[in-house]
Amino acid sequence: MISENLTRDISRAMRRVDAVDKSEGRSKYISDYDFKDCLWARMVRSSIPRGKIKNIKLPQLPQGYYWVSYKDIPEGGHNYLHMIATDWKCFADDRVLYVGETIGLIVGPDKTKVEDLRDLIEIEYEEEEPAVSIDDGVACKGGAFINENNIHCHLKLEVGEDVESVFKRCDRVVGETIETGFQEHVYLETNGACCVPESNGNYTIYASAQCPFYIRKSIAPVLNIDPEKITVKQTTTGGAFGGKEHFPDVLCGPLLLAAYKTGKAVKMIFDREEDIENSVKRHPSKVVFRTGLDKDGNILAMDSKVYYNVGAYLASSYVVLQRGCFHVSGCYEFPNFRTEGFGVATNTFPSCAFRGFGAPQTLFAIETHMCHLAQMYGIDPLEYKSRYFIKQGDTTSTNGKIVEKVMIPEMLEQVLKASDYRRKAKEYKAGSGKGIGISFYNHGGAFTGNGESAIIKAKCRLHKYPDGTVEILNGQTEMGQGFHSILPKIAAHVLEIPVEKVIYKDPDTSRVPDSGPTAASRSTMIVGKLVEDAARQMKMRWDKEEEFEVETNYQHPEGFPWDQGTFQGYAYLGYGWGVCAVEVEVDPCTGEVTTKGVWSSHDGGHLIDEMIVHGQVNGGVLQGLGWASTEVMQNVGGHFKQTSMSDYMVPTSRDFPKQECFFVDNPYEWGPFGAKGLGELVFNGSAAAYIDAVSRAIGKRISSIPCPTEQVMLYMLDGKNIGEEL
Amino acid sequence: MSMEEVKCYMPETLEQALEIKSKVNAIILAGGSDLMVSNKRTIGLTPVFDRPVMIVRNLSELKKIYINDKGECCIGAGCTSSEIAASKLCPWHLRQAANRMGAIGLRNSATIGGNIANASPKGDTPGPLYLLDARVKLQSLHGSREVPVSDFIVKFKTIDLHDDEIITQVIVPYSEKDFDYVFWHKVGTRKANAISKITVSMALKFNKDDTVRDFRLSATATGSKTNRSRDVEKIIMGKKISNALIEEVVQAYDKVISPRAMPEFRREATRRMIRRFLSESERHAKGKVIETYDGYKMPGAIEPEN
Repeated sequence: MISENLTRDISRAMRRVDAVDKSEGRSKYISDYDFKDCLWARMVRSSIPRGKIKNIKLPQLPQGYYWVSYKDIPEGGHNYLHMIATDWKCFADDRVLYVGETIGLIVGPDKTKVEDLRDLIEIEYEEEEPAVSIDDGVACKGGAFINENNIHCHLKLEVGEDVESVFKRCDRVVGETIETGFQEHVYLETNGACCVPESNGNYTIYASAQCPFYIRKSIAPVLNIDPEKITVKQTTTGGAFGGKEHFPDVLCGPLLLAAYKTGKAVKMIFDREEDIENSVKRHPSKVVFRTGLDKDGNILAMDSKVYYNVGAYLASSYVVLQRGCFHVSGCYEFPNFRTEGFGVATNTFPSCAFRGFGAPQTLFAIETHMCHLAQMYGIDPLEYKSRYFIKQGDTTSTNGKIVEKVMIPEMLEQVLKASDYRRKAKEYKAGSGKGIGISFYNHGGAFTGNGESAIIKAKCRLHKYPDGTVEILNGQTEMGQGFHSILPKIAAHVLEIPVEKVIYKDPDTSRVPDSGPTAASRSTMIVGKLVEDAARQMKMRWDKEEEFEVETNYQHPEGFPWDQGTFQGYAYLGYGWGVCAVEVEVDPCTGEVTTKGVWSSHDGGHLIDEMIVHGQVNGGVLQGLGWASTEVMQNVGGHFKQTSMSDYMVPTSRDFPKQECFFVDNPYEWGPFGAKGLGELVFNGSAAAYIDAVSRAIGKRISSIPCPTEQVMLYMLDGKNIGEEL
Repeated sequence: MSMEEVKCYMPETLEQALEIKSKVNAIILAGGSDLMVSNKRTIGLTPVFDRPVMIVRNLSELKKIYINDKGECCIGAGCTSSEIAASKLCPWHLRQAANRMGAIGLRNSATIGGNIANASPKGDTPGPLYLLDARVKLQSLHGSREVPVSDFIVKFKTIDLHDDEIITQVIVPYSEKDFDYVFWHKVGTRKANAISKITVSMALKFNKDDTVRDFRLSATATGSKTNRSRDVEKIIMGKKISNALIEEVVQAYDKVISPRAMPEFRREATRRMIRRFLSESERHAKGKVIETYDGYKMPGAIEPEN
């Protein structure tokens, strides 16, 4: 039984609704489902990064075995997946643009036979020269394949005076390039889905996924059918981190066509190597700063060029790039600021959503650049950064204002006290083998600007049954983050009924309204609020009616304009804010880093559940530390080099053993019980604090992540000293 | 590639196993932690082997650890890394290596015989075994022979095992008790559940007059197989350690290793570890185990037996 005392503060931890089923192994994942006469599918993919398909030689297919390709798309159907943009092909036709691009499915009743047949398929290519890195893409290596310049998407933002004219007045203008690498999601459960054709001509998709409504919309064009004819049922999802936001479409589109062709249920589950090698990743980035300073080191103007490696198809990347550009000024207000973003086309697996959605890359860049500026003037990075902290009412990089109170000073105090930063920063000399670093970060909650009201138009329903139970009906998914405990808790607290009386099932698109994606740190602050409002309305009618429904629609607060055409105005009404300090010791023999402490403080408004938030903080901070250190994912000649759990290194508890976390209570006006988004925020800052610490310990400037042991050694041997002129 | 079932033998005694091996060139599977991975197909399918398989994990003859009458540590080839790490009879270097191999689940199934037979340059146990002059005992129906591990592993993924033979025992003549100072350091891909980026094992014994009586050095993941060079070790034998001598050893050993990936890192880390070990020995540091820097404490490290 889940006991929840409704009279106490909502923040107090309650036992998660899914805890027992998951720990006892009762939850059903997509692999656990059996469907009648179900066929098994395996994907056949491009083995080259760029070229033409000359010939596909198939083995003789026995009765009941099928080859499914773009040629099976019916008259009127489209060979694309709708993932914001519509350029990602469901199947490659005559050319391939990346290693792993779907060419076809081999489908049949026996798994071994399917595998044997797959091994016999021979594809003949005419190979072309690929562009792999951001630099390759910008240089149009092998010739541009997207637009005339390999730039998928582009945007520009300016605040204050023209930076070029300010630069002319500066004592000096320094330049620096900061880079970040690919990151693999490594959700515990790999991708998997099944498409079942129904007797009425409709289809049901079962999938491990974040956004059931996205799948429906994305794949319906393949058969040119009304999305309503496709029902998506989310199965228990073992982690996602953004990797199952759009990517399940890449499985479900081909499966839909296979089910259409064979008339049978068709299921596909990726094994781990297949999933690592052939799934979306975090965008690698390159941020080029030019900063104009006066003789005391004060920043007069800053220019930043943000390059993201988008891969072969645009899909959702323009939005990722936008968020990256909106966060490049970090937690600071600079007098004159310009940023320009470029989504670069390369022949790598398309990059997509990953916790932070473009913000972590630019936040790492600005934090690291600020450190290096401070060190150039012999100033402690903390002191230097604190001169520019943004406050309520200050102007953002999109010429909007910060609406809420920014509690960085309070959070900083907590972290300073717990970490003893000031003493350690003074005592640990550069290159002494010991170092402590600090970072500041934020994350704009929910969709940018008026996206929630203009694009998503979230809806939520509550249903009261005669026995007094209440069902929450919306499309938000549980993927391990705890959301299916959060919403019932909110409803229960408003209705003053036990949490056990609130039903909240994994979404089925045929019976719940579309409340938008489970992404963008929006679920609690946006959908949570819709549930709170619905519950308040329900409470007023509670005694009078036995069974009824209440539906709420998202309304954007008035007075905070946003222009999506020019990206001007209030990008976000509520930011999560964070401060993180990391202390390390570096082995002088080997370059190995031992992390001695990790301290963080976060502002997620008024927390809905401390235990779930702790889980988010521990996981997010660790994931960020992994991104900065051990998680090396190289792409060589278009092929990912790390393809298994034994060569892609997610950190263990021994790598980052101890974390202390703090919070500030800063109720958010438009969130449920004052809560705001936090799931991505907690990822955004630990990388910069870690790199700051390692850099101080070895006395060398680090400008690129990941920075595994061997890289630390190379910096120790050849790196530029801390404080050197940029 | 075949859809036929795999022929699988499960002998109950070593005698039976040798009998089968004399007739069938079966792949010997002990813990399965290498073979089941390298032969796997996608999820839900059984691994495919191109030869029959003989599972030897239950043979009690291969599970014993004891000290023989010459004082050598004899370890059954079927002993797992966990068993070796836990056994005080086993030499310290080997216990450390076994204790830091992969994850707990793997250590509970992976065997020392399998780790040697896999002949991976990144294997965890060969480093200490080379260092301590270990031999493997190879048995067939017709008798047995003993071969130094460093000869048995011929090169990358190649071993000197006849079709009718089984690795039955690993015999380690030296232990940390034979040395004044010992060193073992694995730079893994992370701090636990890791593959070696480089591992260096060293041991040193002084004569009464402070000249070096015995010095040994081996490194893994620095070439196509584990590296040890007696010629390099000889440089310092019978002499007092000096900075010039240390540099001579460092430079000579640098010529022995041939790392392909991350060469600068692997070479520099090796050089620094050798310098550290020899200079700490030279100044007669307190304690038997030399760490890579003062105050370093490896989590879960095993204390040496005195």
